[in-house]
Amino acid sequence: MRVVTIPRYFDEKGLDTVAGELQPWPPEDKLLFDAHATRWASPYGFTAMLTAGQALRDRGAELPRLRVPDDQAVSSYWAKAGFFHHAAEYFELHGKVPRRAPVGSSDVLLPVTPIRQSEDVHQVVGGIQQSAERILTSELHLKAPDSMRFSMSLSEACQNVVEHAGGPGWVAVHAYNWRERLKRRVVVIAVCDSGVGFRASLEPTQARHHGDRWGDKAALEDALFHSVSRFPQPGRGQGLAAIKRFVLQHKGRLSIRSGTARLAHLPDWDNGPPLQDGLPFFPGAQLQIVIPSTEALPP
Amino acid sequence: MILKIRVDDLLRTTLATPSRDLVTRTTGAAIRLRIERAIADAPCPTTLLDFQEVGVLDFSCADEVVAKLLLLIEDEHYVVLHGVDETQAEAIDHVLSHQDLAIAIVPRAGGRQVLGRSTPDLLAAFEAVHAFGSGSPDRLADRLGWSVERTADALQTLALRRLILAANGTFSPLPLQ
Repeated sequence: MRVVTIPRYFDEKGLDTVAGELQPWPPEDKLLFDAHATRWASPYGFTAMLTAGQALRDRGAELPRLRVPDDQAVSSYWAKAGFFHHAAEYFELHGKVPRRAPVGSSDVLLPVTPIRQSEDVHQVVGGIQQSAERILTSELHLKAPDSMRFSMSLSEACQNVVEHAGGPGWVAVHAYNWRERLKRRVVVIAVCDSGVGFRASLEPTQARHHGDRWGDKAALEDALFHSVSRFPQPGRGQGLAAIKRFVLQHKGRLSIRSGTARLAHLPDWDNGPPLQDGLPFFPGAQLQIVIPSTEALPP
Repeated sequence: MILKIRVDDLLRTTLATPSRDLVTRTTGAAIRLRIERAIADAPCPTTLLDFQEVGVLDFSCADEVVAKLLLLIEDEHYVVLHGVDETQAEAIDHVLSHQDLAIAIVPRAGGRQVLGRSTPDLLAAFEAVHAFGSGSPDRLADRLGWSVERTADALQTLALRRLILAANGTFSPLPLQ
């Protein structure tokens, strides 16, 4: 059995580490995802882990094991985030799994939610408006129209799964304090799927324009910078452009990983790389949006 | 005669789970089909789509419902949107501009507005027709302080974009209420 260590802090960077341990893809050994020492996972971490489980199942792999965090406070949070509820379908869970607590915390705006069809997007958009309105306006200090724009962006991000991935996906939205990094409260949307990825989606129409340069990086650039869609109609490809505009207006951060590349729109406060190529392969596409509050946290 | 369609009613009766939100291409296409059928069944030259009770309108749905409807309906048919809020207007404006289309709306806050592809001349002429009523280019040119040629050009473009009515050299406002 091969052990895949889930990092202590499982976020976007953590996925690259996990993806590295999954090479060569698809892994042939039975896997143990070991999260016993994990202290924290972002919505990206939760949805990416489920994506890995889904992708392994789609490829006929033996049901992987997942050792849950030893720290009860951590595993309780994972339960509250709705992770274990879905993970039980894709992993053999080992360790003490708390019962799913009712979502009452101000951190979990949207628990991990599967996206399989158009109706799921309606549920997500309806749900976020009910649960997150107060957080978005009173804690993130978004104005009412911005709260609607937030829902529009969430809708477009989820629709990419239905329209392009050719497989199921997951969405989660949390709010938390980035006290050290930004001194602000942020809301984070993660949408991950185990589908065909940007490269395969755009290959039939775009590969010939790029020749030898064609790959995950070129496909992401086409989609994010040039609003290219696999569909020929002129109204297509505007969803990501709309998300990008909303993120830029709010000095937020948008990143998309697909296959072996990650492309990001970075605000002033983030000095990370806008483009990463040659990352370890991970199936499907993973999108993350970070919107910071307009006001700093009190010291 | 005006055909009035409440979009929230269509949402309620089209979706398996009722929703106020006009999101996703699938939903947008289903709603547009029902609007197309209603237009085909009614002998009205103008359709007013009421967005007053609609919640979120995303870009994909704005494209499916508004942009594609404008591309598919007959040239002699006019469409006006009513009760459109600020964020809905942004989405509609974006998808129409991208496809060189335009539509007249009555914003939720009141007044009137053109969304989509336009120019300062077109917007001024649109306002003049609605403020001063029907008239020939000569009459509206006086009101606008423009040459007759410039006025006629703007009015004809508005008529071609189905933002005003044109008949026998007279240009008239669309019924916006």
